[in-house]
Amino acid sequence: MSRIGVFVCHCGLNIAKTVRVSELAQFAATLPDVVVAKDYKFMCSTPGQEMIANDIKQHKLDRIIVTACSPLMHEQTFRKVLAASGLNQYLLTIVNIREQVSWVTHDIEEGTAKAKALLNGAVYRARLLAPLTSRVIDVNPDVMVIGAGIAGIQAALELANTGKKVYLVEKNSTIGGHMAQFDKTFPTLDCSACILTPKMDSILQHKNITMLTSCEVSEVKGFVGNFDITIRQKARYVDHGKCNACLACTEKCPGKGVSEWDEGLVKRKAIYIPFPQAVPQKPVIDRDSCTFFKKGKCRLCEKVCEQKAIDFDQQDTFIQVKAGAVILATGYDLMDTKPLIQYGYGKYPGVYNALEVERLFNSAGPTGGKVTMRDGREPQAIAVLHCIGSRDKNNSEHCSRVCCMYSLKFAHLFKEKTSADVYQFYIDMRAAGKGYEEFYNRIIGEDVKFIRGKGARVAQSPDEEGRLIVEAEDTITGKFIKVPVDMVVLSPAMVPRADSRDIARLFNLSTDKQGFFMERHPKLAPLSTMSEGIFIAGVCQSPKDIPDTVAQANGAAAEALTIVVKDKMELEATTAMVNPASCCACQNCVRVCPYGAPFFNESKGVSEINEALCKGCGLCASVCPSSAIIARHFTNDQVLAEMEGLMEF
Amino acid sequence: MTSSFKSIEENLKAEAGKLLESGRVEIVLAYGRGYDENHPMPFVAKHPSDVANMVFNEYCIHNLARYLVRYPRGTKIAVAVKAADCRAVIQLIQEEKIKRDDVVFLGIPVYGMKNPKTGEIIDSKTTCGMYNPVLYDVLLGEEVHGQKIVSPYDVLADYEAMDKEARWAFWKKEFDRCIRCYACRKACPMCYCDPCFIDQSKPRWGDKSPQSHGNLMYHLTRFHHLAGRCIDCGECSRACPVDIPLYLFHKKVAKECEEMFGQAAGMSIDDKPALVNFRVDDSDKILE
Ligand SMILES: Cc1cc2nc3c(=O)[nH]c(=O)nc-3n(C[C@H](O)[C@H](O)[C@H](O)COP(=O)(O)OP(=O)(O)OC[C@H]3O[C@@H](n4cnc5c(N)ncnc54)[C@H](O)[C@@H]3O)c2cc1C
Ligand code: SF4
Ligand code: SF4
Ligand code: SF4
Ligand code: SF4
Ligand code: SF4
Repeated sequence: MSRIGVFVCHCGLNIAKTVRVSELAQFAATLPDVVVAKDYKFMCSTPGQEMIANDIKQHKLDRIIVTACSPLMHEQTFRKVLAASGLNQYLLTIVNIREQVSWVTHDIEEGTAKAKALLNGAVYRARLLAPLTSRVIDVNPDVMVIGAGIAGIQAALELANTGKKVYLVEKNSTIGGHMAQFDKTFPTLDCSACILTPKMDSILQHKNITMLTSCEVSEVKGFVGNFDITIRQKARYVDHGKCNACLACTEKCPGKGVSEWDEGLVKRKAIYIPFPQAVPQKPVIDRDSCTFFKKGKCRLCEKVCEQKAIDFDQQDTFIQVKAGAVILATGYDLMDTKPLIQYGYGKYPGVYNALEVERLFNSAGPTGGKVTMRDGREPQAIAVLHCIGSRDKNNSEHCSRVCCMYSLKFAHLFKEKTSADVYQFYIDMRAAGKGYEEFYNRIIGEDVKFIRGKGARVAQSPDEEGRLIVEAEDTITGKFIKVPVDMVVLSPAMVPRADSRDIARLFNLSTDKQGFFMERHPKLAPLSTMSEGIFIAGVCQSPKDIPDTVAQANGAAAEALTIVVKDKMELEATTAMVNPASCCACQNCVRVCPYGAPFFNESKGVSEINEALCKGCGLCASVCPSSAIIARHFTNDQVLAEMEGLMEF
Repeated sequence: MTSSFKSIEENLKAEAGKLLESGRVEIVLAYGRGYDENHPMPFVAKHPSDVANMVFNEYCIHNLARYLVRYPRGTKIAVAVKAADCRAVIQLIQEEKIKRDDVVFLGIPVYGMKNPKTGEIIDSKTTCGMYNPVLYDVLLGEEVHGQKIVSPYDVLADYEAMDKEARWAFWKKEFDRCIRCYACRKACPMCYCDPCFIDQSKPRWGDKSPQSHGNLMYHLTRFHHLAGRCIDCGECSRACPVDIPLYLFHKKVAKECEEMFGQAAGMSIDDKPALVNFRVDDSDKILE
């Protein structure tokens, strides 16, 4: 016989509008072993909590059921109430009648009936619950940050400055990310390199930071507090331990590859650093453009290298890193605009994408900062087309948030660097950031022509060779217009990295419709994920500007710190165990566990579960044919009882 | 038939003798005499002298893979396998119930096997319809070629023509006849669990008396446990004293599995059991 207390929350009108809450409480009072049942406006409020605590004392309750919102919201709150009242916290059951009931129906009959069914099941299960003891484990104090754009750099520095050891993993041969490609940044127009390179240098110098470039994560094991991560470092064919960054090799190299850093606008050597301020300042060899790798002859770099750092036999290596928490900051790709054939990107040399233009402005870029087009001309008229692929049901539904602003930045820089007429084709101007509206006003004053209407098509001018015509509907005058220009700049959607779903899988994350990493809660936990100990920052979460990216990076660093600052942490007691008497050694559990917790004990001939690795997901229990696995808190008996209760309705 | 039953029997005896004599294996699982010619039985040879009692004829239908898991892990065993039986051994290796190094496959290429109960030739209707073992260490006869190859799923045509209600009615009627002797489970090489879910009392998954509900629970769960694992030997159906056509359900599930995951059970020791293996390109059809 147990003594159950049922507490029904109204959640203001959130629940009460589609569930008859007092009827639900009265119904609860009729169920077996229920000693007291009450409803209250806000159960999570202090008076609500006190009511539960008092009833535990007064009625000597030994099981508590709270019918309220998702356990993700308040399970911890109510567990604390139990613990403070001397009850084991696992004797709490939450019945989610908000997200799973009141928010998914408008019909109060339906809502009340479903709430009753769920509650009936919960009572059946609660009677079988057993007290459990949480586990305490050691926490690895280090943090791994993946992606070294401004987000990753900022997060790594913040953490390293608190004294924590940080592994900064970057896929590219240099850190810096997109921000390092820009010349100026809106809205202040300060020089991107001037504010970024000091931070890049600090990464290199910081004694607490291990920078791992040309690296990608290949395997993730473990769990919050104890991740065990395998990093694959691509062969660079240059021993960075020996290289002293004299760069004599890059001068002699006859190989020619396409400069990724300059968005393919120019060639680079086969042994190269991506740009002059790259960190590390040490070159890598690109196999695909290297004469030696292609033809078997050359090795000029090897000859000029006094440090004997060139190593054509270098192989990919694997590095094993342990960390207590992980921050993902892998950023974004720009949408490929070639498939949008109406804009002629890739067909007309006068059509550029936004990142290419960033490189044209950059004094370290392919033109030394001069705005000259692919054919060497300086444009006389330029059109900047906003929202290419963004806010577009056929491509990316989202607003990329920064395009309006960088398009304005482009207008300013074009005005500064050329005598061209500049047209902005926009749907509407989104300037909702600190100093953004002011920046917009400033650009309006710079003789830029604003046309409210999305660029619909770019065509070759029939009259003048090399001239382009931008077609659009001017939505202010309602007229269809054609504007002749020399250069067209597309401001494409920011999209998730091509490999974002692979990364999500490695770390057990979800992605949103677009493929950006999904946060735990859009408002209240925007930097956490459903995987405990994995945080996200920057554009890998959603498009945003540098100020927001940096703010998120600092936030994610603080979140990671809350984990690694402690040397021990409490883990849920809800783990699985094997009853060896029933195990038939099929090893299904070993195969399905996403956390690698079960293992086969060859000498005993049965499987066992490493409790430290088990997250209590229950997968193993569901594939165990002989029900040898007991998932604590969700045992077969408990779940079957709950189902029985549910099915009585 | 490329090799006669007699010559297969001779080869079987010879190879089994060699293996036992050399100590390469401790046990040979093969067929021995039953109460008459038409009813041979599974037979375990432990000494070279035992092989004299071995037989092989068209009634040696049993899937001897069933007996492999009875011995302690690591026991060296040679097992006589026809095509489907061979797939069962491979499936057991995939499931790591046994190690490849611990078994010697005595492969038997054969066709024209007969059901001792009815005298009918068993073919793709009740088995996987293959003639040659997909893997063997020793082949006890010449490979079969030139025989017509029929898809094991052709037999499903009538069943698949039924709608949901008709199928439900069909199985309810069939299962109502089940006397819960568990011969199907006993015959099945993949039903190696001890205890089987249905024998458990905590929780009690289903009624143990041969009545509608418990029968349904037993069979549907067993079908589910065999999804992606059943190698279509047909032994369960032949073992059934009341002739419930279990093979229809098993084949239907096997077909869907194959369509969904591009993999049939027990075809390669490098495969992983389909239902407990995750591949990024796995079909999501199963969730629909
Ligand atoms: C054309 C253009 C102009 C812009 N101008 C401005 C501006 O003027 N002002 C402003 O505030 N914002 C501007 N933005 C927005 C700005 O680019 C972003 O806010 C900022 O760069 C986001 O930084 P991040 O670190 O999140 O991503 P990124 O800069 O994309 O950095 C991510 C890093 O992670 C690495 N990485 C990716 N995948 C992996 C992996 N699997 N493993 C390891 N490493 C990986 C990448 O190589 C990269 O170094 C502009 C954007 C565009 C497109
Ligand atoms: S799934 Fe169950 S029976 Fe199979 S090995 Fe694991 S515990 Fe044992
Ligand atoms: S419950 Fe089972 S599958 Fe889930 S983490 Fe624990 S051992 Fe792994
Ligand atoms: S279920 Fe039947 S056909 Fe399938 S492997 Fe088992 S005995 Fe053979
Ligand atoms: S029915 Fe399921 S639990 Fe029972 S023996 Fe077969 S596979 Fe194992
Ligand atoms: S062999 Fe036939 S009667 Fe016996 S349990 Fe199986 S289906 Fe039922």
